[in-house]
Amino acid sequence: MDDAPTTALSGDGTNEGGSILALDDVCKSFGSLDVLKGVNLEVARGTVTCVIGPSGSGKSTLLRCINLLEPPDRGRIMLEGKEITGKVTGDQLNYVRQRVGMVFQQFNLFPHKCALENVSIAQEKVLERNPGEARDKAKALLERVGLGDKLEEYPDRLSGGQQQRVAIARALAMEPHVMLFDEVTSALDPELVKEVLDVMKELAAEGMTMIIVTHEMGFARDVADTVVFMDAGVVVESGPPSAVLANPQHERTKRFLGQVLENR
Amino acid sequence: MEYIFEYYFDFGLMKDQFDPVLEGFWETLKLSIIAGILSLVWGLVLAVLRQLPGRAMAPVRGVVIAYIDIFRGIPLLLVLLLVSGFLSSAASPVGGEILPRSVGVPDWFGQPSPFWYGIMALTLTYGAYMAEVYRAGIEAVPGGQMEAARSLGMSHGQAMRYVVVPQAIRRVIPPLLNDYIALMKDTSLVAFLGFTEVVQAGFNFSSSDFNGSALTLGALLFLLITIPLARIVDRLIAREQTKTQRGGGGGSVAPPIPTGMAGA
Repeated sequence: MDDAPTTALSGDGTNEGGSILALDDVCKSFGSLDVLKGVNLEVARGTVTCVIGPSGSGKSTLLRCINLLEPPDRGRIMLEGKEITGKVTGDQLNYVRQRVGMVFQQFNLFPHKCALENVSIAQEKVLERNPGEARDKAKALLERVGLGDKLEEYPDRLSGGQQQRVAIARALAMEPHVMLFDEVTSALDPELVKEVLDVMKELAAEGMTMIIVTHEMGFARDVADTVVFMDAGVVVESGPPSAVLANPQHERTKRFLGQVLENR
Repeated sequence: MEYIFEYYFDFGLMKDQFDPVLEGFWETLKLSIIAGILSLVWGLVLAVLRQLPGRAMAPVRGVVIAYIDIFRGIPLLLVLLLVSGFLSSAASPVGGEILPRSVGVPDWFGQPSPFWYGIMALTLTYGAYMAEVYRAGIEAVPGGQMEAARSLGMSHGQAMRYVVVPQAIRRVIPPLLNDYIALMKDTSLVAFLGFTEVVQAGFNFSSSDFNGSALTLGALLFLLITIPLARIVDRLIAREQTKTQRGGGGGSVAPPIPTGMAGA
């Protein structure tokens, strides 16, 4: 990524000591179901944050709040020094989605478009790049994720791992400052997980700011700068993997890790 | 027994009356093609308006839903009489000439006003039917498609235009063709306004000759178009189904829309 993490602030916001993203008491309910009950989180630029926790703990909702697919009910989210919560306006959505890329568990590739078009369409329609430039960029990104020979393939001709790598390339094409990964390997056959994780490791090594919801504890241990354990809509504990994963302080974290490791 | 055959299949009469009946059928085709295209467009407009998100658009959605309910719920003949009656009277001294004659009693492109009243009534009614078909198609596109498009920064309109609607249309071509077949048969109602399409042409002969062969001829002409169309629909559905069964890796391929005849 040529311009990802280094380009500093836009707007007149302040940097808040290197944090690219700061969540303060973020709450989200669906009807009577309180999914997020006051989440606090700070993400430093260029770091990898892995969010772990039992299903239903609000991990995915947290990501969806960060890019305003689900606007939070309460609390504040600061993105590069600018508040993105409150009354959601079109400008605000643009501000967020120009800076935050997202990769989904179900890939959500556009099935009527080939790999190249999947990666180029939003460049053309949102960033208004000319088609040639968008294609060149798409081609370069697909080569980078190891799919240089699949440019013209349609999603239904690609394996899950290949589809997910196209999805990563598609998000990167918009040159986001933060990438959100929502259980991106959970829908994959086990032998396809590694090729996707490898791409993500590479991205991390290049300094991309990433927030990753995952069940891959090995990956979290190797790649994360910060591990966040969530349960029942709150952050129970967070810190470097050596602390949270190897030496958890909270009973709930211990129990969760015990269960996860038992299943291995 | 012989009389039955003679009444329906007097080949001598058919031969004599072929040209005027064919001329009537040509009017039928013109009506159905023009009204068919307008209904396709009007139906899509209605369906997209119905999908507009947010509280601010609730009145628009409400008006569209009411429109669809009303026009699907009343007979086409009634619509035809209401449209033609209003327009012609509004352009006459009775209605205070609130409409210019060229609008109230249109004779555009050399076609008489009943032809255009027919186009309007067919479009109003079949637009409502087709809007429902489009809606089923749009709703069958997985929600992740809209989310992926939005997360790439597309507006709701862009996501509909480039991602959702193209996928929806592919799936609804068979049921739309079914609606077109129904529309084509319903053009015969324009005979009620004294317009000589194929049914009226055949009826003129049958009532003066006491022989239905001209009507049989009209029926055969209809079948010449509607049976091949029905086969095309079958083939499209079969193709869509094999595609859906094959597309295992996609995870985002929804089943095709079941076809239902609109003329209920």
